[in-house]
Amino acid sequence: MKQGYVIIGFWIALFIAAGFIIKASLAEDQSLNYNKIVEQASTNSLPIEEGVYKLSYSAKEYLELVNSGVGFSKNLTSYYNRRAFPGAPPTIPHLSEESLSIGGKECLQCHQNGGFVDVYKAYAPIAPHPEYINCKQCHVPLKSEGNFKANSWKKMEAPEANQQALIGSPPIIPHSLEMRSNCLSCHAGPSAPIEIRVTHPNRINCRQCHALNDNSQNTNKIWTR
Amino acid sequence: MRKCQEKKKKQQIMINRRDFIKKSAAASAMAAAITMIPGILFASDQENSTLTGDINWTKGPCRFCGVGCGILVGTQNGKAVAVKGDPNSAVNKGLLCVKGYHQIMCTSSADRLTKPLVKKNGKYVETSMEEALDLVASKMKETIDKHGKDSVAMYTSGQSTIPEGYVASKFMKGAIGTNNLDCNARLCMASAVAGFLTTFGADEPMGCYEDIEHANVFVLWGNNMAEMHPVLFSRMLDNRLNRKNVRIIDLATRTTRTSKAADKSILFKPQGDLAIANSICYELINNGWVDNSFVEKHVAFNKGKTNIGYGLEDNFKFNDEATPINYEEYKTFLADYRPDKIEEISGVSAKDIKYLASIYGDPNLKVVSYWCMGMNQHTRGTWVNNLVYNIHLLTGKISQPGNGPFSLTGQPSACGTAREVGTFTHKLPKGVVTNKKHRELAAKIWKVPYDRIPDKPTYHATEMFRAVDRGDIKFIWTQVTNPLVSLPKTSRFRPAMEKESCFVVVSDVFPTPTSDVADVILPAAWHVEKSGMYGNSERRTQYWDQMVEAPGEALPDAWITIEIARRMGFGDLFPYSKENHHEEIYNEYRQFHVGKKHNMAPLDILKKESGTIWPYIEETGKSTLWRFNSKYDPACDQAKDFDFYGNPDGKAVIWQRPYEPAPEMPDSEYPFWLNTGRVIEHWHTGSMTRRIPVLHQAVPNAYVELHPTDAKRLGISNKEKLKIISRRGTTILPASINERGMPTIGQVFVPFFDESMLINDVTLDSFCPISKEPDYKKCAVRIEKV
Amino acid sequence: MPIKSYVAFPQKGKKNQLIKVLERSNYCEVVPSSNKEVLILVTDTQNDRQENELLLALENIEEIEHLNLVSGFNEEVSREKEKATNNDK
Repeated sequence: MKQGYVIIGFWIALFIAAGFIIKASLAEDQSLNYNKIVEQASTNSLPIEEGVYKLSYSAKEYLELVNSGVGFSKNLTSYYNRRAFPGAPPTIPHLSEESLSIGGKECLQCHQNGGFVDVYKAYAPIAPHPEYINCKQCHVPLKSEGNFKANSWKKMEAPEANQQALIGSPPIIPHSLEMRSNCLSCHAGPSAPIEIRVTHPNRINCRQCHALNDNSQNTNKIWTR
Repeated sequence: MRKCQEKKKKQQIMINRRDFIKKSAAASAMAAAITMIPGILFASDQENSTLTGDINWTKGPCRFCGVGCGILVGTQNGKAVAVKGDPNSAVNKGLLCVKGYHQIMCTSSADRLTKPLVKKNGKYVETSMEEALDLVASKMKETIDKHGKDSVAMYTSGQSTIPEGYVASKFMKGAIGTNNLDCNARLCMASAVAGFLTTFGADEPMGCYEDIEHANVFVLWGNNMAEMHPVLFSRMLDNRLNRKNVRIIDLATRTTRTSKAADKSILFKPQGDLAIANSICYELINNGWVDNSFVEKHVAFNKGKTNIGYGLEDNFKFNDEATPINYEEYKTFLADYRPDKIEEISGVSAKDIKYLASIYGDPNLKVVSYWCMGMNQHTRGTWVNNLVYNIHLLTGKISQPGNGPFSLTGQPSACGTAREVGTFTHKLPKGVVTNKKHRELAAKIWKVPYDRIPDKPTYHATEMFRAVDRGDIKFIWTQVTNPLVSLPKTSRFRPAMEKESCFVVVSDVFPTPTSDVADVILPAAWHVEKSGMYGNSERRTQYWDQMVEAPGEALPDAWITIEIARRMGFGDLFPYSKENHHEEIYNEYRQFHVGKKHNMAPLDILKKESGTIWPYIEETGKSTLWRFNSKYDPACDQAKDFDFYGNPDGKAVIWQRPYEPAPEMPDSEYPFWLNTGRVIEHWHTGSMTRRIPVLHQAVPNAYVELHPTDAKRLGISNKEKLKIISRRGTTILPASINERGMPTIGQVFVPFFDESMLINDVTLDSFCPISKEPDYKKCAVRIEKV
Repeated sequence: MPIKSYVAFPQKGKKNQLIKVLERSNYCEVVPSSNKEVLILVTDTQNDRQENELLLALENIEEIEHLNLVSGFNEEVSREKEKATNNDK
């Protein structure tokens, strides 16, 4: 009996001690107050700026692929064929299950990092904007051919590739960067359309040399005072 | 042997055969075309004027930033048609940035200045160069005769070539005899210079770009290197990709492209850098990470004056005083900078400060600190430069490959011209005007009487334009710079320059807001339209030959200065020839720097190589990459391992510098910090880059960056027009939210390249009392919807 | 392997554009007419893959109104023939 009391007493003492220790350490925390005053750089800021550095860790592998002849089946024709107009979200060219999910967990399995997909015998293109996970909101499969009623929709011209201001200068970026700021996802790797595959994917800071001239600002081409 | 020959023959046959087949294919197609379309003609040897033809490639340095990339300019039929990176240049190894690739396109701008313009009855009239030069010389002489030598002034540039800076200095200080010569490098590098001189007694970095290949951690202090020194940043990224254990840490007041590329981004409050640097030193000492033997052998301790003011008043004068202290006193001083104590003023958590300290303190990590305008354009710029040096001196991480502080330069020749030739009010090509020996040397080389060179500095940049406003300066001549966009508080200086009391002469390539107020505009030759030399951040001097002719009557600035000097009777001091004046001037200038510590390479070496780094050792033909370290620098006392020979005792100085707040902080009436800077596409005031279509279309106008939270609170949407107001002026800009950069809450950022959205009307002309460099990064503004 | 030559008719007013596009295209050489809206295109590819790539690219050049194939030479075949004639000798 006495032993029991001692043991219980011991445990109670332990709990009380623990309580004091916790209280004391909390109090210390308050006094030193390690609170950040200014918020740290948010990971969601500057989407157009940070895109250029994504995939940069793979830049060396991309460089090795440049002249290897790997994955040369994609070209700009098929690229633009999937889009109603340049800049439109591409339709899904392969069978995709109707599922109750929004897409993120399924689509990104292949389209986050690319790679060869046996079933379709092709390299999966890497999504330039994997942070948007509601894929099927914009990307849909084509389930039939032909039109409901006749339609004279004419596709606008794709921006001209390889526009250089001078001989040998770095081509400008003719398309807007919204959701397409991750250069390497479309311009390097085996799933990139051949015509726009770059020779130097290992130079990570793309926008150091390539200026954005997408005419989105509706500005005069020449500046006057 | 026979097999080999046969193989060669077969190959030849195959090639010939292929060409033959191609030619026959073309011929049959032509024949078919002729039957389809009678009368059709084909040019026999197709010369595509767009893509082929003989292009001549000539080397030189880039016109823009202080990285000093080597470029190759392609000329065809006397015109510059292409630019590529020079693969032989150790600086950029064939890579450029978007400005560099397109730089030659500005010269074909429709409003390029080709003829001198003189203001007559309120209108600009084209005159001949002879007439304009006569007018300028006579006006200058007249002003000196009537009002004295110190009533005339020249304001040159960190973008002037070495010959241009040299003749300006010789003209003002040696010929006329006034120290009224300053340059725009005062607005960008003066604090760095003062930092070097106070800590090391010698200007310019001790390391070089090679550090990038060796370092483990790059700590960027307040500079957006991905946009401002892009080629160096790419070298860093390349190293991070290919070498193990390489990290980039961005320490800044705003989130930028650099923050996104960096491994860690730490934001701090404006002016907090003073506290952070001291706090890191506290941690180093507290944790026993100090290299005690290095400190004992090579470091002295000083403290200077405190509460030193901000230069806001006209004729503000300040002279620092050095008081030697000892290590113990320094440690006591640092107790106030324990990391948790400075969280409030710096905005950085103690955890992050300890993290930074642990990086500097780890003896196995090679650390390079890079900084530029964040630390230099600062009311305590000299102090914060000293403080970062303190960190490297305490740990002994200095003057070694990949280990050391590196002050990056903004302009292409702020080092080569402004600092080394000394186009400042207090400087001479070697030394300072206050030093008798230095004046004697200048008098000897310039062949002028010793007492002509005045021994007192007069006006630094800000004071110079204040003097114009007061009427003390009655004649001012600017070259290669655009002060009415780049000075702080242009709202005061524009009316000042417009006053009748001051005759303004502007030499430039394009019309600018500065030339808009000029009495005489002299057309200048642009970069490759003249020969010259530039010196970049890493002490590399680069030479280039003239590649194309300047249009109209445009002349190289150096030659214009010489012509004016001759007209004023100083012809005997400027006996240079028009064709070779740049060479003759350089050879004369070299004499100033003879000696182990600063020898410049001779011209024939500069012409051959893609630049050489001084001190250049002629016997071995080697550049000195790391100074003050006897392993790499023969100018050191070889008995010591490190010799900071800029100071008489061979020791570098750790300065005790406290935190002092900025002069104008946000309050209830003006609740935002205003920070200004650049973007990669535009150079400084945009007079060149805006005239390059590619760059203009990429960033057509300035904007004001806001934090999304502030924007939401004020109900501001992207691209909405806003008015920025300060106690000095106002300007209207569209908002930019979460695009190129994101300031912290309570801060806004504006790039200053846009003369129609003149943010410098709003900034404050406070400056570091020691270096006299203005602070463009901190003043208080409020935002209003238009 | 194939070397082919075509007479190319550009769309109205697009001759210079077409010349630029073709000059930038792989495997193509252009000989424009100096006085008519026509040009000669000579293509030279090393293998089937390149030929397919080229044909695909040509199909998608909008500036081409139509392309008339005039002649084609399959190098491989010719070389084999040469070998055969040599062996006979």
